[in-house]
Amino acid sequence: MPIVQFTPFSSLIQPAFWHELTNLKIDVLRLSDDALPVSGSYSTGRSVVDRESGNEIALGCNLSVGSESFDKDYKAPAGSIPVSGTFKNFNTIEDFKAADKTALFNQEAEKIWDHILKTRNTALLSHFLLITYADLKKYKYYYWFAFPAFVSKPAWEIAEDGWRDATDQFSSEALSSIHTQFHSHPSPLPFFLVRSDSNGTSIAPVESYATFFESTPPSSQTIAFVDPSANPTNPGWPLRNLLAYLRALYPETTSTVRVLCWRDAELHQSTWKSRFGVLEAGGVSSNGGGRPSAVGWEKNPQGKLGPRVADLAPMMDPTMLANQAVDLNLKLMRWRILPALDLEKISSTKCLLLGAGTLGCYVARTLMGWGVRTITFVDSSHVSFSNPVRQPLFEFEDCLHGGKPKAACAADRLKKVYPGINATGHMLSIPMPGHPVPSASVAQTKADVEKLEALIAEHDAIFLLMDSRESRWLPTVIGAAKGKIVLNAALGFDTFLVMRHGARGSSVPAGGSRLGCYYCNDIVAPSDSLTDRTLDQQCTVTRPGLAPIAASTTVELLASLLQHPDGIHAPAPPINVDPRNDASQSDDSTGSVLGLVPHQLRGFLAQFRNMHIVGAAYDRCTGCSETVLQTYEKEGFEMMLKAFNDPKYLPALTGLDKLYDEGEAALESVDWDEEDGDEDF
Amino acid sequence: MLTRSQFEIACKAFIATHSTVVPHSPAAEALQGWSWNEHPSVPGLGFMSRTAIHYWRTRSISTDPLPIADDLEEAFSEEDEASTTSASETLRSQQYVVYSATFQVPAFYFTVHDSQGIPLSLSDLVRTSLFHPFAFEQTNSTTFGLTRPSSSFPLLSQGDHPILGTPSWYLHPCETATSVNEIMAELHRDDWSEEQRLVRWLETWFMIVGTAVNCRL
Repeated sequence: MPIVQFTPFSSLIQPAFWHELTNLKIDVLRLSDDALPVSGSYSTGRSVVDRESGNEIALGCNLSVGSESFDKDYKAPAGSIPVSGTFKNFNTIEDFKAADKTALFNQEAEKIWDHILKTRNTALLSHFLLITYADLKKYKYYYWFAFPAFVSKPAWEIAEDGWRDATDQFSSEALSSIHTQFHSHPSPLPFFLVRSDSNGTSIAPVESYATFFESTPPSSQTIAFVDPSANPTNPGWPLRNLLAYLRALYPETTSTVRVLCWRDAELHQSTWKSRFGVLEAGGVSSNGGGRPSAVGWEKNPQGKLGPRVADLAPMMDPTMLANQAVDLNLKLMRWRILPALDLEKISSTKCLLLGAGTLGCYVARTLMGWGVRTITFVDSSHVSFSNPVRQPLFEFEDCLHGGKPKAACAADRLKKVYPGINATGHMLSIPMPGHPVPSASVAQTKADVEKLEALIAEHDAIFLLMDSRESRWLPTVIGAAKGKIVLNAALGFDTFLVMRHGARGSSVPAGGSRLGCYYCNDIVAPSDSLTDRTLDQQCTVTRPGLAPIAASTTVELLASLLQHPDGIHAPAPPINVDPRNDASQSDDSTGSVLGLVPHQLRGFLAQFRNMHIVGAAYDRCTGCSETVLQTYEKEGFEMMLKAFNDPKYLPALTGLDKLYDEGEAALESVDWDEEDGDEDF
Repeated sequence: MLTRSQFEIACKAFIATHSTVVPHSPAAEALQGWSWNEHPSVPGLGFMSRTAIHYWRTRSISTDPLPIADDLEEAFSEEDEASTTSASETLRSQQYVVYSATFQVPAFYFTVHDSQGIPLSLSDLVRTSLFHPFAFEQTNSTTFGLTRPSSSFPLLSQGDHPILGTPSWYLHPCETATSVNEIMAELHRDDWSEEQRLVRWLETWFMIVGTAVNCRL
């Protein structure tokens, strides 16, 4: 005959249990590792029909603990069987590891066995052990349950006809009668006796075995238990100790036991789920009346013996909570609006912000909104009293004592907004063409250039957000040489320019047109625009709302570019596309899932109007022409130094000077048509 | 739309209707097991709650990286021919029907946690039996996609339980009223009492919610 196999208990922990354990550890236990009583509960097993496969899935044979498990007067949820346990929390992970698990286990098994013999009571049959170590700093809980069960030797066997529906043995009326009596019992009966005779079917607690079955023939005696297993051929764990109890106390009459696995908590279900089987003790017990050995440590999810770890950091750690929330908000966009949106492509883009002023602050905030995780600031100045009202990452206190370095301060503030961000700030002044480098500063300038080169190399997108024209030249050259995405934003009083630099000429596929950079439309090289200017000319004097508009536009341009299948090579939308005609945008082959990827946007706040502009690359450009890039790659800092020191160097290198001369000559020979008065944007 | 007092009447009548014996069916399960909870101190802010059991719809323990303590595995073993391997992991879902004062309709709030007591993240959540598999039909390529583009599926969001203040997930109620009213207009019968109408309203609401999540008990 086959051996009876029991479904072990599996622990089911409610989240509130960990909160209670935390409170208990902090407020009550502190450093104590004394054993404490704990309570849990189980109820009838449940199986569900899987909607897809139609298969019946037996859910775990659960022993559940919750927030009330440490209560002195524990009350199991309605319809559940309360069980007692022993709880021991260790102070360190080492103590937890080193604990003599076998001794702890045997102590509990001994307790159960003694209780059976001394009291003839079933109250401790499902007694359990729980050992824990709570790593409260990391919100990690190590724990291990044991559900001691006495091993019967030889093992119990099931009669030939196996486990059957209870209805094979009991009429529906009998089962209904059991159900009614079970529920009318003052306290829930985990184990009970069933007797069928001429008076019908009646039940009684197992403790009254001798009297209740006194005049009942063995064929009408049934032992029943509330079965937490839903598996049709495996009874639940509590039956093991019930059988051990019966064999210990009534060895003469229990070599054959008729067992009813009670699984019908609710009556409204159309079919009875309880199971019935006849068990044979399979021979004389070999341990001669002593305590049988016990098993029952819970296995981990890999099926091995060992503790489990509940890592609650994702729900408890505020930083991680923020992390999830940031992503969730973005992911929601994908649910309905843009299923094809590749958020990771945006959030994984490392962004270098050159300039931590008005534009830099707003660009950083908008990047954060997109979930960008790496934001690096470069700025050479300190926070001044005029900054905080326009530059949202700074506060009044930052201006005191000469002001904090802007780049570092802005990075710190980003971390305050969202601790998960990887933000850094670098105090660095970007050398500019037409601003000669005194010989004493050459070493410093060289170091600055190298640092900028390294920073640009480490990032994917470079934002030019400085307040002068010529400071954009160096990063334009380095960015183009290294094939980075370069985005540029510049402010006038009520106008702005937002653009993306085109890809480097040598990387553009044959036949493709190349988009220009900031300097491509210039026929003069960048030079000193700062010296000899009045205050209002030096500072960015703009309408306050302009910077956030330009900054957001820049970031959104990056987002659209990243979503475009061609990325940095995305062509500009044809000039005749009317951006107001937005219905066709997403179908347009030039667009990304986010819409068009324009080359340049000029915004006119006075008219509340944006204009698309496409500027082709210029082969004599001082910023991105191959001549400049190749010279830079060949000569490195030497070339830079010439550009900084000699205003005539770049025009000579690119041939702009010749063009200028030609232009001057042409100018003299042409009569201008004065009517052509278009804006020269 | 419902007022808060209509919501309370509807819930209580609904619970009374469905606590009596009804035939066992998946559709009926959505309506069972609910009980009424009062706000601990403020009267009139009650809500319905229940606990439902779920399981992993797609998840195999062998391939999923679960937090384990490798170095904690014990050397001793237990020889035991009389035990089976454990059954499927049980997931518990705490579910609430709460009145949304903003949208003046009931809102479905819920949490799901695994057997270790860890609340599930969004990516785990969608692999439980709480969510219909077809929810992913056209969005397989992305990690998240709980809706077919054509369905009027309510958006899932994370937020605090309005009464308990605990972190929850909820189905956004913004589209509920329209859908429920549309169906109610078809069902309407003149001989309904106000209470019958409210119960039908709530049942219809459950039907709408059922298109998004599996409301089995």
